[in-house]
Amino acid sequence: MQTDPSLLRDSVLAQPISHLFLLVGIVMAAILLLVTVLVLYVSFRYRSDGVSVMPQQEFGRTSLEILWTVGPVLILVFIFAATIHAMKESDPGFAANQQPDLVIVAHQWWWEARYVKSGVIAANEIHLPVGKRLFVRLESADVIHDWWVPQLGRKMDAVPGHPNFLWLEADSPGFYSGTCAEYCGAEHAWMRIGVIAEGEPTFEHWAQHQLEVPSQLPTGSDAAQGAQLFQQFTCGNCHTIGGTSFRGKIGPDLTHIGSRLTLAAGRFQNTPANLAHWLTDPQAVKPDSHMPNFQLSDAQVRQLTAYLETLQ
Amino acid sequence: MSDVPYMPQMPATSDHVGATVEHEKAGLLGWVATVDHKRIGILYLLTSLVFFGAGGIEALLMRIQLARPNNSFLSPGAYNQIFTMHGTTMIFLVAMPALTGMANYLVPLMIGAKDVAFPRLNAFSFWLLAFGGLFLYFSFIAGGAPAAGWFSYAPLSEQPYSSTTGVDYYAIGLFVLGMGSIAAAINLIVTIAGFRAVGLTIRRLPLFVWMVMVTQVLILLALPALNASLSMLLIDRLMNGHFFVTDSGGSALLWQHFFWAFGHPEVYIVVLPAFGMISEVIPVFSRKVIYGYEFVAASTVAIAVLSFLVWAHHMFAVGLGHSIDVVFAVGSMLIAVPTGVKIFNWIATMWGGSIRFTTSMLFATGFLVMFTIGGLSGISFAAFPIDWQVTDTYYLVAHLHYVLFGGTVFAIFAGVYYWFPKISGRMLSERLGKIHFWLMLVGFNMTFMVQHFMGLIGMPRRVFTYPDLPGWAALNMTSTIGAVIMGIAVAIFLWNLIVSFVTGEPAGNNPWDAWTLEWSTTSPPPAHNFDLLPPIRSRRPLWDLAHPEDPDWKHGH
Amino acid sequence: MDTEGTVERFVTVDTYEFAVTLFLISEGAFFAFLIIAYVYFHGSMASGPNAGNSLNPLKTGIYSVFLLASSFTVSTAERKLSSGHRRAFSGWLLTTIILGTIFVVGQGREYFNLYRNDVTVSRNVFGTSFFTLTGFHGLHVLLGLLALCILFALAMGGDFQTGRSSAIRAVALYWHFVDWIWVVIFFVVYVWALF
Repeated sequence: MQTDPSLLRDSVLAQPISHLFLLVGIVMAAILLLVTVLVLYVSFRYRSDGVSVMPQQEFGRTSLEILWTVGPVLILVFIFAATIHAMKESDPGFAANQQPDLVIVAHQWWWEARYVKSGVIAANEIHLPVGKRLFVRLESADVIHDWWVPQLGRKMDAVPGHPNFLWLEADSPGFYSGTCAEYCGAEHAWMRIGVIAEGEPTFEHWAQHQLEVPSQLPTGSDAAQGAQLFQQFTCGNCHTIGGTSFRGKIGPDLTHIGSRLTLAAGRFQNTPANLAHWLTDPQAVKPDSHMPNFQLSDAQVRQLTAYLETLQ
Repeated sequence: MSDVPYMPQMPATSDHVGATVEHEKAGLLGWVATVDHKRIGILYLLTSLVFFGAGGIEALLMRIQLARPNNSFLSPGAYNQIFTMHGTTMIFLVAMPALTGMANYLVPLMIGAKDVAFPRLNAFSFWLLAFGGLFLYFSFIAGGAPAAGWFSYAPLSEQPYSSTTGVDYYAIGLFVLGMGSIAAAINLIVTIAGFRAVGLTIRRLPLFVWMVMVTQVLILLALPALNASLSMLLIDRLMNGHFFVTDSGGSALLWQHFFWAFGHPEVYIVVLPAFGMISEVIPVFSRKVIYGYEFVAASTVAIAVLSFLVWAHHMFAVGLGHSIDVVFAVGSMLIAVPTGVKIFNWIATMWGGSIRFTTSMLFATGFLVMFTIGGLSGISFAAFPIDWQVTDTYYLVAHLHYVLFGGTVFAIFAGVYYWFPKISGRMLSERLGKIHFWLMLVGFNMTFMVQHFMGLIGMPRRVFTYPDLPGWAALNMTSTIGAVIMGIAVAIFLWNLIVSFVTGEPAGNNPWDAWTLEWSTTSPPPAHNFDLLPPIRSRRPLWDLAHPEDPDWKHGH
Repeated sequence: MDTEGTVERFVTVDTYEFAVTLFLISEGAFFAFLIIAYVYFHGSMASGPNAGNSLNPLKTGIYSVFLLASSFTVSTAERKLSSGHRRAFSGWLLTTIILGTIFVVGQGREYFNLYRNDVTVSRNVFGTSFFTLTGFHGLHVLLGLLALCILFALAMGGDFQTGRSSAIRAVALYWHFVDWIWVVIFFVVYVWALF
């Protein structure tokens, strides 16, 4: 579900920025109009007719210079005041010892999210309770990335060795599309973010479900075989599946992969066919991503897909 | 055109010193071994033109890939190398050499000198550029071009994230270019300081020379920051250093501070000489003296000083803290003021004039609006919560192209159409020139105006493809079509250069009836530049000669 | 192209002295950034080798005295030349070279000791920033020594008859820069290590 990002209205932390942009935009448009009109005017009014005498040589007038120095300064003072206001409204402060509600870790090329209190771990698709303001600590596991969900507010770099903090709040339910916004290597283009904002009960229900782990191995021959293959091909070295011995931390957590909307950080819709395509050759789908091609046979792909689809 | 007899002020020197321009060899060897600033200037300009083609092809390849969502014309690896090389090429191998070439050619002529202070150092500077550029491009066939972006942020630019030698070629190539730029800066400063003809006080400097001089001071102080950064990056990469490797105590932010300490003055390095060319072109084709000379000159110094105080406006989204953001916002907003002063003075120069819209003047006039657009979007970034939304998006790509292309490149076009007659002795075709201009104006705006909107609806920069979200495909396709039109315009420009060089109308000394010293000698000038110099008693010696009833020096200028 | 006297110029500057000064300004900016990087990382090394536990300010200080002395000897050499004492000029020039070489030998010994104790450019951020800063300085000293040797050889061959030489002025200015930037580096790296 790829909702047009510009249709959803800005959330409470994004609105001050939009207002500032509107204000600055009007001022900029006015100045541009002035300059354009002046340029067009002089171009037509003073166009040479080929025969006129040499025009009067004007060397300058200090009063004019003062006017078009002081005038812009006054405009800028006004914009500066609006800037400070928008800064405070869109990026509220926080106490030095404020504990995060959500820790987001950027990786090449996926997003890890850890809900501190509940212990829920998510990847790429992050659920938020509508109307609640969460305090986020943003980190990076490798290079510099940038968290950007336009409707929810400012972007913020994820810098290795330098944790950053921001507030996150969605004030109406829906799917908010975002992306990494700092070039981070080969697959920077496919490091998309999905924020699902839902009413608090729905969110709690989701969080509860996230904490559940598969209690038994799947039935059905394909899925059971798939679980075996997951073990055999050492997928657990990179990926975690709750309730199993697979505890890898290098790639996204797969405990609930079956219920995700998209996979590979927004690269494709989560359908069995697409997942099978990915497993067949990840490098063909997302070249240079860190998941190697395991040269699986068609049968193995079918079985693994079946297993992963049971992880709802 | 005025055929005014000159009152000989003094004979220009009869040269007797050995290794000078009078004794240069003929043919290709003459060009390779030249120490004549005019030939070196032409070499710079030709080199810039070749790399403009390379950078332009890189741009077209990118736009073809981005014409449709989920396109597979270029692999991500190829795209990332190409966008890195596009930015690096355009700044270091096109803009800087073109402006250095113009400065090299024109400054001695405009100050009534025979050559620059150190002709051999001048040649050396050029060959450093040529070598550095070839070295950088060699990376394509030596394991891959750099793919960490033109500002090569750490730790992406470090091992193991950039494991080919691309970034090493980038660092070494740019280091060599930096040395050449510093050498050229020293040369030009000494030349302007000490080689001016009698009567040419600092206050009478043509504005192009004035702005070139301020630019060289910027180069002297900013390029060492780049060279220090590149040295540190190379030590990290080749000797397992830890400057910017965060896993072992290094700092990713330190790279950004150091790079932008260079990078911000750098954008003024590539824009001030452009302002200088505009300041020469607009008065001549408006038939009026520049309005507010002192203010245009002083605002240049203000911009230069401020340019060292705003670097962290490239880092508003990095998380430096509100206090630091505010400080840099103030400087960034302030720097708009002297820039605006120039725009208004240029318009005032046209006001009340008798304007001839030659191709040169068309580009200069277009520059006024295009650069204003870029400058205004820059102010929106200075209101940094806006930056928090639109930095690192196509809105920023739009901004930078409006100032660097709509600004610098348009000004270079204006300068080329203006001075080509002096350099080659022939006029460029006005017919082809006007087609070039209008195609370029349409194509450029089509390419980049829509990119403002692409950024506002969420498209980040430096992406090899994008999802099929509403509106993204249409805007990208529009931008690509605009880029193709720009390519056609450039092709027409190239054709104009070639055809006019061979069959253009002979230009004569002063086809534009201009007023600065370069127009008092032949087109092209003799090896020693001047046989005779007119008396210099004001900023416009040739005006004074042609208008003895109303010379500039009567107005105290 | 030495155009002094052949072109009527508005301002006569000593072109070479001015050019070298401009060059030294750019070099100063270059070193400023390396110094800033060193300062940035100073104190971030709680464990492992750092300035406090790896350097010997006293020893390096003694070698530094030799380098600073060479600044005075090169000035003396210039004075001797302009007063016509060509043999004294050559002698003081040679003294400068010897003093500078002693400094380089001292630095070399320090580097060797550090290397033996596994303090290298790749060891940690101290190693990286220390060797980069002092290494680039050492490189500049070596190049300066080379230039001085060339001047000495020319002097031995009978050059510099007129008592004034742009080349000597230029190299002397460069040498002063190399010496006095070392004072800054010495304080930032070695003296600060004591605190």
